[in-house]
Amino acid sequence: MSTPTPSDQVRGQLGALLPRLRRFARAITRNVHDADDLVQVALEKALARAAQWRPESRLDSWVFGIMKNAWIDEIRSRRRRDRVHAPEEAGFAIGDSSAEMRDIALSMQAAMARLPEDQRLAVALVLVEGLSYKEASEVLDIPIGTLTSRLARGREALQAMLGDAGGGLG
Amino acid sequence: MKFSDEMLMAYADGELDLVERAEIEAAMAVDPEVALAVERHRRLAARVQEAYQDVLEEPVPANLAALVSTAAAAPVVRLADHRSARAEPVAIPPVRLPYWAAIAASVTIGLLVGLFLLREPAPPWKESGAGLIAKGELDYALTTQLAGGTSVDDVRVGISFRDRTGAYCRAFHLQQDAPLAGLACRAGSEWRLQVIAAAAKQEGELRPAAAMPMAVLHAIDAAIDGEPLDAAAESAARDSGWQAPPKLAE
Repeated sequence: MSTPTPSDQVRGQLGALLPRLRRFARAITRNVHDADDLVQVALEKALARAAQWRPESRLDSWVFGIMKNAWIDEIRSRRRRDRVHAPEEAGFAIGDSSAEMRDIALSMQAAMARLPEDQRLAVALVLVEGLSYKEASEVLDIPIGTLTSRLARGREALQAMLGDAGGGLG
Repeated sequence: MKFSDEMLMAYADGELDLVERAEIEAAMAVDPEVALAVERHRRLAARVQEAYQDVLEEPVPANLAALVSTAAAAPVVRLADHRSARAEPVAIPPVRLPYWAAIAASVTIGLLVGLFLLREPAPPWKESGAGLIAKGELDYALTTQLAGGTSVDDVRVGISFRDRTGAYCRAFHLQQDAPLAGLACRAGSEWRLQVIAAAAKQEGELRPAAAMPMAVLHAIDAAIDGEPLDAAAESAARDSGWQAPPKLAE
């Protein structure tokens, strides 16, 4: 059997990781459509740069990093477009009255969508994907202390949005 | 003693070392407010995870699957050839994992989880209604690593095989201060741990028979249907995301 090229190795492993890549994308973008677009962009980039991946490091972390960068780029270019054109409509069909908002228990996904990007990325890597603080800080390329404080603020914000009023267990 | 909320969060996430954990546990025992704060962190973490769990079960869109498909369907056929070429099928007694083994396994898991939590910052599995589910480095290695391939972190994957329901199972070895070995079987998009047991420290390639503790060997014997996967079948299984194909007629 001929030796598999780096791109072959990466391709096989990416196939196995696809459900998790889609989940991570769902957690950091605001909807299914953006999420799968992001996965597609990231897969193409990962395959094109397969030779840069070191087999002794985790492929999932590497691809999460690629996804993070691609998403941040996307956000920035959307903001540029928004400044030129009309403001983007909200990603969720939720009433805009914030007084009303407080009474409605937000679904977790809607609450996640309202977090600032940096907090949402931290929450997605640690709580959704189960990375350790160290792994997540490496993916985001930030010190572990920064990761910890973003994660803490993100959780606090989620807790507040979800409303902890009737907070019995289960 | 007063703990910051970040510290309690890190405790809930299994990120603290032994000494810090002991301090927080002592505080939780006497101060319901500390215990409640930890519980809130745990509960939120579980809810966030749960909110995205269904994505794993969704069918992957064809355009994405096509990007990463390796046109290597051949190995499955070769496995079939390999099976039909065997002179006579080995009679496998129709026993499930014996009753005592299940008890032994769950006791072992309980014991080891206790031990593990004491020593390691974050165990690579989590509890669920269905038992223990691999996560983090263990989930990653079971999903992506081939038996002969480069190992990442401290996990080495040994033999892979299909159990009698057709699901894929893989034996693994965790290299750490107190090495563990175990068996995990695929259920949907998760790896369910069947057994974990203390293992001897080992160097180099995983030698399944020599290095695996008895409890794991028994679990493999009880579950395996036919032969372990060869390298080609293992790689094809990985590329399919460990989704069991229909059982081959023999």
